[in-house]
Amino acid sequence: MQAELLAKIKESFPQAAEEAAKEGEYRDPAPVLTVPKESLAALCKLLRDDAALAFDYLMNLTAVDYKDRLVMVYQLYSMRLKHKITLKAALPTDGPAIDSVTSVWKGADWLEREVFDLFGVTFTGHPDPRRILLPEDWVGHPLRKNYTREPDRYD
Amino acid sequence: MDVRSGVVLDRLPLVVEKLPGGRLVTTTADFFIDWATESSVWPLTFGLACCAIEMMAAYASRFDFDRLGVIPRGTPRQADMIIVAGTVTKKMAPRIERLYHQMPDPKFVLSMGSCSNTGGPFYDSYSVVKGVDKVVPVDVYLPGCPPRPDALMYAVLKIQEKIKKMSIKDRLPQTQVAIEAMKQAGAV
Amino acid sequence: MLTQYASVLIFLAFGLAFTVGTLVAAFLVRRYRPSLLKYTTYECGEVPVGQSWVQFNLRFYVYALLFLVFDVEVAFIIPWAVVFKELGLFAFVEMMIFIGILILGLAYAWRKGALEWT
Repeated sequence: MQAELLAKIKESFPQAAEEAAKEGEYRDPAPVLTVPKESLAALCKLLRDDAALAFDYLMNLTAVDYKDRLVMVYQLYSMRLKHKITLKAALPTDGPAIDSVTSVWKGADWLEREVFDLFGVTFTGHPDPRRILLPEDWVGHPLRKNYTREPDRYD
Repeated sequence: MDVRSGVVLDRLPLVVEKLPGGRLVTTTADFFIDWATESSVWPLTFGLACCAIEMMAAYASRFDFDRLGVIPRGTPRQADMIIVAGTVTKKMAPRIERLYHQMPDPKFVLSMGSCSNTGGPFYDSYSVVKGVDKVVPVDVYLPGCPPRPDALMYAVLKIQEKIKKMSIKDRLPQTQVAIEAMKQAGAV
Repeated sequence: MLTQYASVLIFLAFGLAFTVGTLVAAFLVRRYRPSLLKYTTYECGEVPVGQSWVQFNLRFYVYALLFLVFDVEVAFIIPWAVVFKELGLFAFVEMMIFIGILILGLAYAWRKGALEWT
């Protein structure tokens, strides 16, 4: 994606910081922007609605548990303009919560349910916040680093 | 639910056996009944993961299951075997148990592939049942990841061997156990 | 004359013996293993939710009705087809008028969209 588009994003969102791409790692890397979690929903709306950016496809929505923080990763693609971008937002490990982007991309619905199921991130404004992969009565969020489990009758 | 008819017919082979020539009758009846049962093993296909693809290949024309009399049924009411093909997750386990109970007797369970034998390559996972025998009683375990379709046919042949050993003289204790359980549940 | 119907009687007896005999044989060979869970309603392994008496779509009734009408028409055509050589032209034209009236009905139903499944 061109540098001037990145610059345009950064002037509307001055707290967005760009991570340096590791040289030679990917042939066509998507630029990575780290944003604070409060401005994420507004940034997503800008990315979808702006005509020069036009990110209409949320490819991936996931989270990574570093032991001291949880990082949400959003990977976006523009069908029309054919460019990509990755957004990262850091969350505290204690009671992580972030705004839901289902109002921006409908496909975020089940992706956010999966992140809630496996990481325990609460999405405010999500239309249907319940577990999707594990049984409803499961206790805990398995992909967290501090997850422990007692063996049950199936083990 | 008439309790008496089941017990009467199950006692009949024991009575017939004691008559002169009765052994001939019971063993001939065994032969024909077992022959009918083994030639028409209709499985409830329970394809959960990759083993399901090999099971589908066994049903297709190259390895043709139909020549063994194996026709897949979609409902447990018409099935007499269940092929658990694939990884059993903890979310799926109560459903397998319920379906197993909804099958009429005689029923057999064929555990296909490592995942349903012991949990397989996903043994350390938090959500995988370590072998479907923690949920239903298994008759034949078929190792492989996935087992070839002809291995699946060999497993069905093993189930047929198991059926050949069944006899009508052994029915009475099991019927009595089932009727006892129903009485204790207060249904009879 | 009554002996001609003997073959019908034998046919009927064989049919009854075949069906009833199979059911009796199955009753004798069958196992009896009642269990509470066996009698639960089947819903792909889940605990059943909702009613099982649901309202069917109207298209099933319309199709069945049309089928019934033309089935009765065929029941009239079959005896005519057996003897129509001897009956001559008059019977032929009469049957064509009969079929024609029913074809008009079919065309009406077709145009009205009664045969659309979607």
